Amino acid sequence: MTETVTFTDIESNICTVARLVEEDKLYFVQMAGAPLMAILTAKRMRTPGVGYVVEEGAVAPSPTFPLGRMMLGASRSHYRSVCWTGMNVVDFHATLGYMDYGVLAAIQVDKYGNLNSTIIGGSYEKPERRFGGPGGGNEIASQCWRIIVMTKLQKRKFVEKVDFMSSPGYLDGSPDARERAGMPAGTGPYRIVTERAVFGFDEESHMMRLQAIAPWISVEEVLARMDFKPLIADPLEELAPPSEEELTILRSEIDPGGFTLSRGEWFNVERDDSGAMRLVSASGESADA
Amino acid sequence: MEVLASGVGEFRMPDPDGLRAYVREHKERRLVSKVMTEQDAISRFVEDGAYVAYDQNTAVRGPASLFREIIRQRKKNLWLCAKFTWSDVSLLVAGGCVSKVDVGWMATGPVVNRALQKGEIELIEWTNGALSYRLLAGAMGVPFLPMRYMGGTDAFARSAAKLLTDPYLEKPICVVPALNPDVGILHVHQCDVYGNARVFGAGVAPMEIGMASKRLIISTEEIIDNEAIRRQPQRTTIPYYFVDAVVLAPFGTYPGGVPGLYGADVQHVLEFAGAEGQDRMGEYLDKWVHSVASHEEMLEQRVGAKKLLHLRQEETVREGYYE
Repeated sequence: MTETVTFTDIESNICTVARLVEEDKLYFVQMAGAPLMAILTAKRMRTPGVGYVVEEGAVAPSPTFPLGRMMLGASRSHYRSVCWTGMNVVDFHATLGYMDYGVLAAIQVDKYGNLNSTIIGGSYEKPERRFGGPGGGNEIASQCWRIIVMTKLQKRKFVEKVDFMSSPGYLDGSPDARERAGMPAGTGPYRIVTERAVFGFDEESHMMRLQAIAPWISVEEVLARMDFKPLIADPLEELAPPSEEELTILRSEIDPGGFTLSRGEWFNVERDDSGAMRLVSASGESADA
Repeated sequence: MEVLASGVGEFRMPDPDGLRAYVREHKERRLVSKVMTEQDAISRFVEDGAYVAYDQNTAVRGPASLFREIIRQRKKNLWLCAKFTWSDVSLLVAGGCVSKVDVGWMATGPVVNRALQKGEIELIEWTNGALSYRLLAGAMGVPFLPMRYMGGTDAFARSAAKLLTDPYLEKPICVVPALNPDVGILHVHQCDVYGNARVFGAGVAPMEIGMASKRLIISTEEIIDNEAIRRQPQRTTIPYYFVDAVVLAPFGTYPGGVPGLYGADVQHVLEFAGAEGQDRMGEYLDKWVHSVASHEEMLEQRVGAKKLLHLRQEETVREGYYE
């Protein structure tokens, strides 16, 4: 007997981050897309009381499930907050040290966890493609105690040096680099979550370290999808794929319109009686950046 | 204070004393009606080359009707504060109104990319928070403020922030220059004729923009009685003396929504995206801006009562806003 699990990279990332969420911590979450869905999945499934803020100034919203088909508009995503304020005020909450975790998405990340969401390719003056900019990512990445980043494992996304550093990781990796740039001490990237592997950082060198891999992929295959060689933890943890329950809740209650979840790369993974898993098929690289 | 590093981005030198002198000379202290048409508000208060800040965006409570009037009047060379915005910048760039953009975050489709490649617009890098914080400095009347982010990044290097040695702790600290826009444009839920304005829900920085801006144009879903303002003064976001113009603009955020009042028109958002993707922005602007004389005419002739009623019904959440 074998069973097949089918999911997208975005669904996998949402489930992985949702499992990291702790009820006794506070989260600063990027306003839309996968980061917001991750905290909402956590609230729905495991940590209903967990508090989070979004950059436009909603504190500890408590949306009711199922969510609307499209979370366009503030009234649904800010529903039943404990406080409605503005951007500066929630940024101050992070400056003061109340935000344990920041959850962000990025289009490119480097070996020190620096993040790009501004340009890809070409020069700054003549970029091949221009993206939206850091948004609130910089203040989140600078000031929350620990940063969790959601992205996709691709060679052009995991690079030696980002094309543009929109938001800070450990900068050049040197000791106290963040403090020397004016950021609060003791902060920095904590996990980089992808559909195939999860990375942490070495406490001394601040180098990215492979921390967990999916049971259907080898270390060599992970490394082949990166432009630099990370440190490798020993032992490696297992990155479990989304469960049936998680996928059902994601698809029916978190993003019933499928506007976020259904984009990206689809995976079919087979699990046999012994629990061993293998990748049956993947839909290939998506066109996203 | 020792300067450790400086960004190279262009910026307007803060001028708190110049602003004080302007305020003393020009801002109306009396309770007088500032109600006027969108045509008058834009032609009187937005000059070519002005620095313009606005709150929220295409999706939520952005001042879309006033953006369309800016395009209709063919304003040129505006410098936009693009914090937490969406396709607003694309719309104004397509309208030929923009030469510079301070970027926190904005949607960057074909219109912005093409204008960049042709060198028609120049971007200066910031972050959403940094721009809101610069507006806070502007609202406080001080020349700069210290903050604990942005240092060390390329966003810093392309901004006009500086890294200093803090004179008290003698540690590095990032500072940003105050931002005092020539014109602030806010769309609000309610306002009286004098400009006492109420924004409901999480804003982004409506108070900061209102206080920092040299001139302030408010568009409002409804004009309410001054007595209603005085019964619940806690609900006032911006008091009257900051305000230069009050423009009545029901559905003023269309195609976006106003929380607690009406939802966004997803169909229109897709029409915009289609026009942008297929290089038909000229047609889009003709239909929605140039071929109608006003916001009211656009609602009547292009949107229609049926759609507007539907958008009202789409917004099912009232609690927290009007209740």
